[in-house]
Amino acid sequence: MNDRYSRQILFPGIGADGQASLQTKHALILGAGALGSAAAETLVRAGVGELTIIDRDYVEWSNLPRQQLYGEKEAEAKMPKAVAAKERLQAIRSDAVIHSLVMDATAEKLEDIAPGLDILIDGSDNFDIRFILNDLSQKYRIPWVFGACAGSYGMSFTIVPGETPCLQCILPAIPSFSVTCETDGVIAPAVQMTSAYQTAEALKILSGRTEAVQTKLTLFDVWKNQHHAIQVGKTKKDTCPSCGTSPAYAHLAGADDTKMAVLCGRDTVQIRPETSRSYDFTYLETKLSRHGRVQKNPYLLSCALPDYRLVVFRDGRVLVHGTKKVEQAKAIYEKYFLS
Amino acid sequence: MIKVLFFARLQDEAGTEALEAQKAGQTVQEIKAWLKEEYQLSSLDQAMAAVNEEFANNEDTLSDGDTIAFIPPVSGG
Repeated sequence: MNDRYSRQILFPGIGADGQASLQTKHALILGAGALGSAAAETLVRAGVGELTIIDRDYVEWSNLPRQQLYGEKEAEAKMPKAVAAKERLQAIRSDAVIHSLVMDATAEKLEDIAPGLDILIDGSDNFDIRFILNDLSQKYRIPWVFGACAGSYGMSFTIVPGETPCLQCILPAIPSFSVTCETDGVIAPAVQMTSAYQTAEALKILSGRTEAVQTKLTLFDVWKNQHHAIQVGKTKKDTCPSCGTSPAYAHLAGADDTKMAVLCGRDTVQIRPETSRSYDFTYLETKLSRHGRVQKNPYLLSCALPDYRLVVFRDGRVLVHGTKKVEQAKAIYEKYFLS
Repeated sequence: MIKVLFFARLQDEAGTEALEAQKAGQTVQEIKAWLKEEYQLSSLDQAMAAVNEEFANNEDTLSDGDTIAFIPPVSGG
């Protein structure tokens, strides 16, 4: 037990004091998909004291080729990713303090937990949430590590408030088009490479070696054999609405308006009720089983309708699988839940 | 002469990883417009551009021997 971290301590970049520092730190893993799983496992194994993991989804079979914390048992049971991740991570390291939150990461909820965090790790799959993370990082002065991948391509960038440019300096607006796992698929090595960069940066920051932080935007394609590091220093502007001299943090203010969201890479619309409600699963099971086969676990209930599949979470969120059309999903939701 | 590099799906759309062109003296914006037309790269407007491995703005002008890379944003995770 005592030599558990001996190889990390032996590594001159970390050393005994760096290791001691890691063990007092609290990391947020936002999204427990491929990148989130990989980052959480690396940080827990490295000895990071505390992790908060937020994810709104559950494990599916199509996740298994690359989401390293999950197996067939979790896919079969449709376990929420945050719950399954915690279970696996505690088996890896029983003394890690892990908070798992099955929910949508809204700006409001993130602001509640931000004050205790030492780093934000991007395990998300969309730019809406990344712009929220970016504002959160600046407002609460917490470093964050952007990471994204699809196909065989990925990128990583570390944002240290007050020192580096922020995401909004590099991308002035949320891109209306981006490469996603839906359009380009994804292979595990692209995930692992992205995560390797993200977690190396996290270890530097959490062990107190900020001088070692990579200040360039790193990008690579593991299939096309490309690798580049782009200098971005000159993009930092005093007028930036997030990291400039008069920040507006607009993404923290307006973000909760989204009640409906089309999930990335999925033929799925998520509906979030305006006020969080909790359903009586027993009643719901009786009601929905008239329309299709119902499966449930302590966290969610799933019903296979002829053309769609509904998944209801304890916090009241409903996923409508089988459509990308918000209006259609809303009609289905109203039919089965509001009537 | 400048060199143009494409990443990820832009490379698939352009059908090549790299090309050379007589575009010294033109701005990033002008080169984007030309590439969009020539190679039907519909998503080029969303891409970030780097000249000689340094982030570039649309107004930056390229010199002879420069390499410009187009980097599409990626969102998966």
